[in-house]
Amino acid sequence: MSGVRAVRISIESACEKQVQEVGLDGTETYLQPLSMSQNLARLAQRIDFSQGSGSEEEEAAGAEGDAPDWAGAGASADQDDEEGLVKFQPSLWPWDSVRNNLRSALTEMCVLYDVLSIVRDKKFMTLDPVSQDALPPKQNPQTLQLISKKKSLAGAAQILLKGAERLTKSVTENQENKLQRDFNSELLRLRQHWKLRKVGDKILGDLSYRSAGSLFPHHGTFEVIKNTDIDLDKKIPEDYCPLDVQIPSDLEGSAYIKVSIQKQAPDIGDLGTVNLFKRPLPKSKPGSPHWQTKLEAAQNVLLCKEIFAQLSREAVQIKSQIPHIVVKNQIISQPFPSLQLSISLCHSSNDKKSQKSATEKQSPEDHLYVLEHNLHLLIREFHKQTLSSIMMPHPASAPFGHKRMRLSGPQAFDKNEINSLQSSEGLLEKIIKQAKHIFLRSRTAATIDSLASRIEDPQIQAHWSNINDVYESSVKVLITSQGYEQICKSIQLQLNIGVEQIRVVHRDGRVITLSHQEQELQDFLLSQFVMDLKVAVRLWFSFPVTSVKIFQKAMFYKIANGVIFVDHSKKFSGIKWKVGTLFIKWSCLCLHLALAYYDFFPEQNFDLKCLQTNYKHKEAITSKNVYLAFETFHFI
Amino acid sequence: MGVTCVSQMPVAEGKSVQQTVELLTRKLEILGAEKQGTFCVDCETYHTAASTLGSQGQAGKLMYVMHNSEYPLSCFALFENGPCLIADTNFDVLMVKLKGFFQSAKASKIETRGTRYQYCDFLVKVGTVTMGPSARGISVEVEYGPCVVASDCWSLLLEFLQSFLGSHTPGAPAVFGNRHDAVYGPADTMVQYMELFNKIRKQQQVPVAGIR
Repeated sequence: MSGVRAVRISIESACEKQVQEVGLDGTETYLQPLSMSQNLARLAQRIDFSQGSGSEEEEAAGAEGDAPDWAGAGASADQDDEEGLVKFQPSLWPWDSVRNNLRSALTEMCVLYDVLSIVRDKKFMTLDPVSQDALPPKQNPQTLQLISKKKSLAGAAQILLKGAERLTKSVTENQENKLQRDFNSELLRLRQHWKLRKVGDKILGDLSYRSAGSLFPHHGTFEVIKNTDIDLDKKIPEDYCPLDVQIPSDLEGSAYIKVSIQKQAPDIGDLGTVNLFKRPLPKSKPGSPHWQTKLEAAQNVLLCKEIFAQLSREAVQIKSQIPHIVVKNQIISQPFPSLQLSISLCHSSNDKKSQKSATEKQSPEDHLYVLEHNLHLLIREFHKQTLSSIMMPHPASAPFGHKRMRLSGPQAFDKNEINSLQSSEGLLEKIIKQAKHIFLRSRTAATIDSLASRIEDPQIQAHWSNINDVYESSVKVLITSQGYEQICKSIQLQLNIGVEQIRVVHRDGRVITLSHQEQELQDFLLSQFVMDLKVAVRLWFSFPVTSVKIFQKAMFYKIANGVIFVDHSKKFSGIKWKVGTLFIKWSCLCLHLALAYYDFFPEQNFDLKCLQTNYKHKEAITSKNVYLAFETFHFI
Repeated sequence: MGVTCVSQMPVAEGKSVQQTVELLTRKLEILGAEKQGTFCVDCETYHTAASTLGSQGQAGKLMYVMHNSEYPLSCFALFENGPCLIADTNFDVLMVKLKGFFQSAKASKIETRGTRYQYCDFLVKVGTVTMGPSARGISVEVEYGPCVVASDCWSLLLEFLQSFLGSHTPGAPAVFGNRHDAVYGPADTMVQYMELFNKIRKQQQVPVAGIR
């Protein structure tokens, strides 16, 4: 700002007067500008009353153009036009048009006022509406509401229907999905019980015992298939399962091992015709799905097959005195001469055909459930052995086999020691031994029972021990006389029933071994009965004698409650008496026993020993301290 | 394992190895021994490979790997004056792997085969020692089962040996010398065999008539 020279501005007003004329001398005569009233008149003339408000724009345009005119009176052309217009009506003053227009406006207004006032009276003039386009008929409010409600309801229904349709779609999808999901959840349940693996697009499972230590070469794979034959329209059955298992065809049905002992020797021609009776399937747990029962049954069949294969292999390979016969599904061996043990694999399939043929049922009485159970246990033992830590080598580089066998190299075992290590018995031998023992035990029991029922006096008691071994049982046999159980305790036999022999241990320490012959045991027990008859305690029969009368052939002893008369032999020596007749009035058990013994052995002499030497035959007869003592002696 | 004595029976004059063996076995059978099969003891020699020898050039040690049919699942490895190892039969396979350290001496396999007789508590084995195709001598082994301490039963053994070997009865084996009262084990038997084989190896070959 400083240092810049101020600019001189000169202002000239634009309001210059118009030149009217220029004189010859160059002077200018200016027009006098219009005065205020002249200007107003001029402007008033320009008002066009006929124009409506619509022409305001023109008016405005015109007014804008007039603005500079209003600012200054320089627009001579307009002025001239106005003046021309003005001049069209000569002798009229500028306000004339305005006056005319106003007058006409007034006239019209008056007319309008008059008309309106007449119309208001409605006497002479009325107003009629002008017909217009047909308006919509004036409706009732209820119908309107109804229709509006209907519409709105229809709209809502539409929405609801759409939603419902979507829902149904999703529900059907859900159902299908549920079936899908059911398959997966069933598969999960299946997986909790069985080993499954996926091969390609198939799901295979393993129902063999291989992972538990079995060496049976059966593959034991089952396939899991999806049950897709479900009709969504029909009702889904109660036991519907989206999962189905397909087991190998040779494991279908149910099987069991029948072990029976028969007494008669079979004809060769009868072999191989084992009648299978269909054992009713064991009831599955109520909650278990059908595939579980199916798989368990198949696994059972596999196990029975393995047992039978092992047994038949041993029956063929192992040499024994009496060779075992393997025919079809039966193994026959003879544990004892007149005894036949038959082990057979009874496999009944689920076909309807075979069900019809198996209606003839053999009585299952001769089936030994214990041995069947034991067979199952033995094969499981064998399985466990292959997996046991004794077999698994430490360190892992050592060869497989029993632990002691592995040590036999470094410890230089000789042949005897090695042989003792190797378990020599197979399944068949074990089961035959068990069968022998069971048979021997049952026969011993039968012998004892028959003797007990046959012989009333003395009595035989048998106390069987509850805890037995598979190869050994024991029974304690007591032979007593009724009433004298506490006294006659001398015959107590402990019978240890083994596989082929019975070992008898006497109370006095003698050990006797009996063979499996039934007769031998019977004879032995009978001999023991006889021993018992001889065995008794020393029974004192002593009675105080009041008077004695000696006759030639008899001696009468009068005792408190009666008389005992004894006839003595000619060989009477004072010690040896032959008891001829004993007469008693009262029942004294002791004496009765003596009598009974005497009855039993009528011919024999009973040696009576008077131990009490205070019986002096003659001298003491008269004394009151005479005691007559009978004693039956034997060895205790 | 009882106390065992291994000795060599010299070949009778004018007779072959076979005939001498037959003589012996007949004697035993007359004595009352019962034949119980055959036996076999063999020995292979290895020496430590030259690469493992020190720069001083010490002589390589000889290792003997022996088998005895009496202990069918075992393998014995021993050095001359050193320890004896009793191992599993996998030891032979191991030796193959140790080829770099132990090289087998050529034509060194020597073995004795024969029959086994049991006479009450005594176990007598009479065998022909062969090296390759040729029979080199006769080995006699007597074991007294019940006793495991050498000093206790040596006299009994000696007496028994005298009864059928006669004048060829050996003296007490060297293994008994140091450890009279120690428990006798299979390793001692193998040491005796090793010494026997070494002795036979050094001997001259039996005359041609003895070769069958």
